[in-house]
Amino acid sequence: MALFGFEKDTLLDLTVNVIPLGIILFFIAAFAVVPAFGTDPVFSGLQFALMISMFLLLAVLTYYAGRAIENAEHAQESLEEASAVNEPEDEVAEFEDEDAPGELEDE
Amino acid sequence: MAAGDLVLTGLMAVLLVGIAALLTRIENWRSYTPLAGGGTATGETVIHREKPAGIVRWLTTVDHKDIGILYGVYAVIAFAVGGIMAMLIRLQLVTPGGALLGANAYNSILTSHGITMLFLFGTPIIAAFANYFIPLLIGADDMAFPRINAIAFWLLPPAALLIWAGFFLAPVTENMIEPAQTAWTMYTPLSVEQTNPGVDLMLLGLHLSGVAATMGAINFIATIFTERDDDVSWANLDIFSWTILTQSALILFAFPLLGSAIVMLLLDRNLATTFFAVEGGGPLLWQHLFWFFGHPEVYILVLPPMGLVSLILPKFAGRKLFGFKFVVYSTLAIGVLSFGVWAHHMFSTGMDPRLRASFMAVSLAIAIPSAVKTFNWITTMWNGRLRLTTPMLFCIGFISNFIIGGVTGVFLAAIPVDLILHDTYYVVGHFHYIVMGAIGFAAFAGIYYWFPVFTGRMYQRTLGKAHFWLSMVGTNLTFFAMLALGYLGMPRRYATYQFDGAIAPLAQVETYHLLATAGALILFVGQLIFVWNVVQSWLEGPKVEDGDPWNLERDGMLDREFQWFDRKLETTVTDGGEEEEQSALTGARSDD
Repeated sequence: MALFGFEKDTLLDLTVNVIPLGIILFFIAAFAVVPAFGTDPVFSGLQFALMISMFLLLAVLTYYAGRAIENAEHAQESLEEASAVNEPEDEVAEFEDEDAPGELEDE
Repeated sequence: MAAGDLVLTGLMAVLLVGIAALLTRIENWRSYTPLAGGGTATGETVIHREKPAGIVRWLTTVDHKDIGILYGVYAVIAFAVGGIMAMLIRLQLVTPGGALLGANAYNSILTSHGITMLFLFGTPIIAAFANYFIPLLIGADDMAFPRINAIAFWLLPPAALLIWAGFFLAPVTENMIEPAQTAWTMYTPLSVEQTNPGVDLMLLGLHLSGVAATMGAINFIATIFTERDDDVSWANLDIFSWTILTQSALILFAFPLLGSAIVMLLLDRNLATTFFAVEGGGPLLWQHLFWFFGHPEVYILVLPPMGLVSLILPKFAGRKLFGFKFVVYSTLAIGVLSFGVWAHHMFSTGMDPRLRASFMAVSLAIAIPSAVKTFNWITTMWNGRLRLTTPMLFCIGFISNFIIGGVTGVFLAAIPVDLILHDTYYVVGHFHYIVMGAIGFAAFAGIYYWFPVFTGRMYQRTLGKAHFWLSMVGTNLTFFAMLALGYLGMPRRYATYQFDGAIAPLAQVETYHLLATAGALILFVGQLIFVWNVVQSWLEGPKVEDGDPWNLERDGMLDREFQWFDRKLETTVTDGGEEEEQSALTGARSDD
């Protein structure tokens, strides 16, 4: 499963923010279906703009935070793999030069 | 006259340019910085002492740890001032007619209590922990901008003096300048119409504290983004740093807005502009601007304490924080959503019901991330090996109080409930459960947990526990009574409550006020014990000789700050040398 390019574990972590997103979505739908106080171009516009903007901002921030953390995890994993394999020193150094700055030790 | 002013301004400009030019001509700014070899670039040999001695050290320091301690001392002093104000408020309300103060004095103290606790205690105590420990936790040498860090702190003492200025100036100016009586929300038109110059001074002080907070926030963001050690990534950044990062982002967006609103208010007061006048922007504009800052401010104050609890609680539960990433993502969620809930403070202002409904929706949504954290803390303790040390007790107290404060907040987020309870003591009880019961408790947890690190000594455990239990009982007695008072319809902010018994049950209201005051006295005694414990232990407490005083190594939870502390202990050379090398290793480990 790779929804939005996330791994299953990350998706599971991100569900925590899906719930508030769901609540906002529910209210957007509810207020759209049942406009208890009538509709008005200005106030209804503001009403939905507020909820939709919060929804979008939260979704975008969650996406980028998830991406940043997943990428950092991958970088860490590849470092750990590199240090776990008993390679000759020069090969490890080559790996370090290519794409993974920093120490090769498992901290 | 105008020409004279112009000349003066010109002279001042020349003077400032002259000073700037002079400063740029000083080439040897860093001459006191020794090179690794012991000399300086000029070839002189200097005797290097780490820091200047005495008061000069504290006035000139740019070391993040020293600045952290300065913030801490400042915050504790402000806490004492705000606490004494709270005691005066509670003593006043023992009798319906008011036992102690006139209405004006009461209003002054009420206003200053709120502003002191939020801006001079809350934000600085968090900055104290963040300054001292964020660089240690992320493996940075110091903050990204050490001098800005120092400036940010040194703006705070004048801010406090300005905020409290009315109290000092009233006696010497024959009450020409009085303390502000606007309440901490400074609602217009009241705050515009009070001609007292003390209000202007308070506004300027508040503005200054906002500038300080913003400078600090920029510094933390830069530090956490750019100064992390190579092996600290977004994947393993500690939870306290995450919350400080989110808090700093909130400060960056919220405080400048407060600053702008304050400037507008000052203009309305002094230059007859009409930003908040009925014929101009209207009084509601102030409320919108204020709460657009004010609600994120709530999370500015509560997120780092949540981070502290998330950091400290697992250490004494013997288990890693359950759902670490849940806590991180929910912190970010709170950060975003906190900007979409401000008008839930304004449900009863008569704003459009459609708008009100949307603020209710987001307010209900923001309850989820907070609840998620609560469940994570409880699950972390579940089946853990709990050690009820003082910091742990304060963490558990935090959770308990946060649940009550949080649940009462969910009720208030619902418009129909809010319309009934708005402006009653229910609201006061609700947010005090958060600001004292949660934020205050987390601050105490942090102080006790890191006491060995920043003092090198151990506090007195029995006094620590007495402090906790008195605080816990006092907090719950005081603020639960306030919730009940709210249900009885007792309006907040009143200096007296001699109302008709037919409107509300006066006898019951008086009883609950008495209970709240009794609770406040218990709290007060607890805080006296706290101050005594901290001061005496700092001066005379047993020296910590083990870099792991909480025995965290056993669970593999010795964080970087304690590793740093351990290195510091090992590399500290005693004058004349150690007699026995063993002595550094045989410290008193503590499970209690």
